Amino acid sequence: MKYLKILIIPLILIAILSISCERDDICPESTPTTPSVIIDVFDFTNQESRKNIFDLVVVGVDNDDILPGYSFVSSNNLVLPLKSTENTTQYTLIKEASVNDNGTPDDPTDDFIDGNYDTITLNYSRENVYVSRACGYKTIYKNVTLTIEEDNDNWILSQQPLNPNQSVEDESTTHFNIFH
Amino acid sequence: MNRQHTLTYFISSIFILAFCVFVNAQNDSIPSTVKDTIIIKEKYGLRIGADLSKLGRSFFEDEYTGFEIAGDFRLKKRLYLAGEIGFEEKTTITDYLDITSTGSYLKAGVDFNLYQNWLDMDNMIFFGFRVGASTFSQNLNSFTIYTTDQYWSPQLTSNDLQEFDGLTAIWTELIVGIKVELVNNLFLGLNAQLKFMGTETEPDNFGNVFIPGFNKTTDSSGIGVGYGYTLAYRVPIYKKNK
Repeated sequence: MKYLKILIIPLILIAILSISCERDDICPESTPTTPSVIIDVFDFTNQESRKNIFDLVVVGVDNDDILPGYSFVSSNNLVLPLKSTENTTQYTLIKEASVNDNGTPDDPTDDFIDGNYDTITLNYSRENVYVSRACGYKTIYKNVTLTIEEDNDNWILSQQPLNPNQSVEDESTTHFNIFH
Repeated sequence: MNRQHTLTYFISSIFILAFCVFVNAQNDSIPSTVKDTIIIKEKYGLRIGADLSKLGRSFFEDEYTGFEIAGDFRLKKRLYLAGEIGFEEKTTITDYLDITSTGSYLKAGVDFNLYQNWLDMDNMIFFGFRVGASTFSQNLNSFTIYTTDQYWSPQLTSNDLQEFDGLTAIWTELIVGIKVELVNNLFLGLNAQLKFMGTETEPDNFGNVFIPGFNKTTDSSGIGVGYGYTLAYRVPIYKKNK
């Protein structure tokens, strides 16, 4: 019985060690952090039905890279990250995009993308919200507005927020609908 | 001739047997009340010490300053009243946060000695319980927004100092350890602590990443861990027979 008591001590020590070695510094993927804005794409003539945008390319204005996942795809759902540093984020959405090799098929550096360019502007105010020790702070977006920049050949015909004073606080629901 | 030998053998056997019985009988007759006459006295007193590990970390780690005074008082043969008082300042730096936590704490409880000492040895293998309380403040030195999507990078980094004062926390602790008497009345102790958070003040739009006395907090559970490496001197107050 006395030995049993003594045995408890190393057991507790091992338990303490194993708990202290548990990794707690990595933000779990399941934790909601900074959300992206979710936009559903509908048919303008039949506003109840989803309509794919074919050969879509999404590029952030002032960003050199194509948004990952939106390089010549057919899609009726857009998930666009917003800047945490500014109150405006702009995206160029290119419909029926194709690569124009500029007459030099061997030189990809002067290639550009043909297609119908439309630019959308998202304006918002930002709030920084504490999540946890591992995840730190996330940004949530309040009073988000989506504007379609006018050009001579808009293919995005209208937009609609799902709520008045639309905010983007998580990715559980759609935030905007656009119609084309 | 043969017969005489047999007789001799028989008689001597009887004699030996009788002797055995006699010896046994004599053993039985020894009074069992005769005991060791040396009376061992056990010392009772107040033991006061400092945590060497906290001093060492203060010296070697840039991001930590801490000091702890630990004391215990022997109430009964195996039972000690024990407590710690301390101060800690710790800067926690992760990829997304830079926080300095500063404060003091007090812990009180009992230790129970499981070790059966030989003669006048005075060592301990113990377990104990504590209730701990801390008042502290946290300074958020800087943070960087966390996001899984790095399309618009870098993310916002804020370097505006934010101060969160008047925070408190109360927790309970399970402690196990040893205390060894190095020389007369001077003890070296080693212990490990498992802490369970009771209540803590949650700062507005912020979290307690480090609580003095409780140490690092975890997101998933209210469990904390700690250890101590103490050097202590016992002020003997009185002695009692073992």
